[in-house]
Amino acid sequence: MLRFVRRKAVDVEAVAGVSFKVGAGEMIGYVGPNGAGKSTTIKMLTGILQPSGGRVRVAGLDPARQRLEVAKRIGVVFGQRSQLWWDLPLVDSFELLRHIYRVPADAYRQRLAYFTELLELGSFLETPVRQLSLGQRMRGDLTASLLHAPPVLFLDEPSIGLDVVAKARIRDLLAQINRDQGVTILLTTHDMADIERLCSRMLIIDHGRVIYDGGIEAIREQYGDERTVVVDLAEAGPPLTVPDATVTRTDGPRQWLRFRRSETTAAQVVASVAATARLRDLTIEEPAIEDIVRGIYERGDRRQNTGVRRGETSPVSCLLGEVVASVAPVHGLDVDRRDV
Amino acid sequence: MGLYVTLIRAQISAQLQYRASFAIQAVGQFLATFTDFIMLLLLFQRFPSIAGWTLGEVAFLYGLGGLAFGISDLLCGGFDGLSKMIRMGTFDRVLIRPVGTFAQVLAGDVQFRRVGRVVQGVVTLGFALSLLDIAWSAPKIAVLVSAIVAGAVIFTAIWVIGAAITFWTVETSEVTNVFTYGGEALVSYPMPIYAEGIRRFFTYVVPLVFVSYLPALFILERPDPLGLPPVLQLCSPIVAVAFLLVARVCWAFGVRHYQGTGS
Repeated sequence: MLRFVRRKAVDVEAVAGVSFKVGAGEMIGYVGPNGAGKSTTIKMLTGILQPSGGRVRVAGLDPARQRLEVAKRIGVVFGQRSQLWWDLPLVDSFELLRHIYRVPADAYRQRLAYFTELLELGSFLETPVRQLSLGQRMRGDLTASLLHAPPVLFLDEPSIGLDVVAKARIRDLLAQINRDQGVTILLTTHDMADIERLCSRMLIIDHGRVIYDGGIEAIREQYGDERTVVVDLAEAGPPLTVPDATVTRTDGPRQWLRFRRSETTAAQVVASVAATARLRDLTIEEPAIEDIVRGIYERGDRRQNTGVRRGETSPVSCLLGEVVASVAPVHGLDVDRRDV
Repeated sequence: MGLYVTLIRAQISAQLQYRASFAIQAVGQFLATFTDFIMLLLLFQRFPSIAGWTLGEVAFLYGLGGLAFGISDLLCGGFDGLSKMIRMGTFDRVLIRPVGTFAQVLAGDVQFRRVGRVVQGVVTLGFALSLLDIAWSAPKIAVLVSAIVAGAVIFTAIWVIGAAITFWTVETSEVTNVFTYGGEALVSYPMPIYAEGIRRFFTYVVPLVFVSYLPALFILERPDPLGLPPVLQLCSPIVAVAFLLVARVCWAFGVRHYQGTGS
């Protein structure tokens, strides 16, 4: 009861130490579990929120101080929230955005034609947004964010809830504008397939801190120590006992043996299996990026190294945290961190 | 300005998607506000005058205040919806666009059903003018027109200040409604009926006396029993602009607070 009357003010540091630089024309995946601080970072980069410390630069500008200038140079897509006008035909939303961003009529016509063809918008341009399917709406939102030809594009879960066909179409478009127009893209998603297909670099953030920043393949090297040997034996039997490997699953004559590359090799595991049972066939499974990332999240959960509390949605006051930036390229975005 | 018109035109066409609903709501708004006016007529059935003001004179105040409030409510009602924008997260969308937040919210939620309120103001004002015998002159016409515009600006400034507070409270505060809807009712009656403290408050803090009472004194050539300097009767536009500037400052503070916390 008292809680209801007097809510206690809690300062929650949403982002504690986030530091990264993105070069012009890069496409990076920005991932982390729910509540890790991804959306907060995007809001800081887009000028919606101002960090309580640190420095943020987008296209060489400070988003909080030079909000209007930054707004002209960025496109933003929030997967969960459309920026289209609900009751108007899709094309009317584009027309309004043309006025808001002061896009010259020629450039507007040209870009609209480009996206209409690429995303196959033609059949529903005149349909009110409220009647569009989720996939159609997302294609519309993506177009809306790109009509003013921003050099930087932020995407916050653009593929959420979409079917495989719609996802593929959006991935193709992102790859194309990144390649052809050099648009710098920061993509937040829970879908590792998006990241694997599109991004050469991945940033993992948890508890408001960057816990991984590097290539997609490198993450397998660094975190993907585990491998699984799947063996088909001549007949079903009890789980094998093999040094440095554990049986994680059995299915009739098939058994799954997990080992660490740092402790043994696939050849040794296979040799040990062959010494105790008759082996008919075998495959070696690499860990999926998704599993690796899940492993990283779970480890992060155990550590709980900062004051960030997950799931705190409505703190009375919220400290947005430190984000410090160094000199930024004129094109692209740049965030840097000072250790706090 | 061009953008404001474009956004408003878009909202008209959006709202015309639901024609029947639009018509019913506009008529409903008219009837709801007109019922209040019927109450006033009934009051004058019992009493010949209120604080020395005749039916025509009070109806003049009523129409002036109602019209000013109606215009503000129609064209600048977006600020009333800020609480919803913050809760739904749509205010974030305002911040990522290369246009000032004030202009975007101003044009963000124009509800044309509210035209009913404006019609009611015009009807009441017309009714008042038919009862009154005013010796019209150029200054009087200028004061009437400027009072309508200034009144709309003053009410808008109250919406803005109320909305700015929403950045801290998230919920729209009932206090704001006291000054907007309550303010409209307040300015519909002659000031002398109110206690001195209330009169002072609505002169020096929330300048509602400049919406209808002071301009009406000038147009109706009535002496002011409250003894305010007569020059104030011409000052509504200046006061309105000053009050709007105060509101803009509050708004800027509110937006900065939002950016600092994310609510």
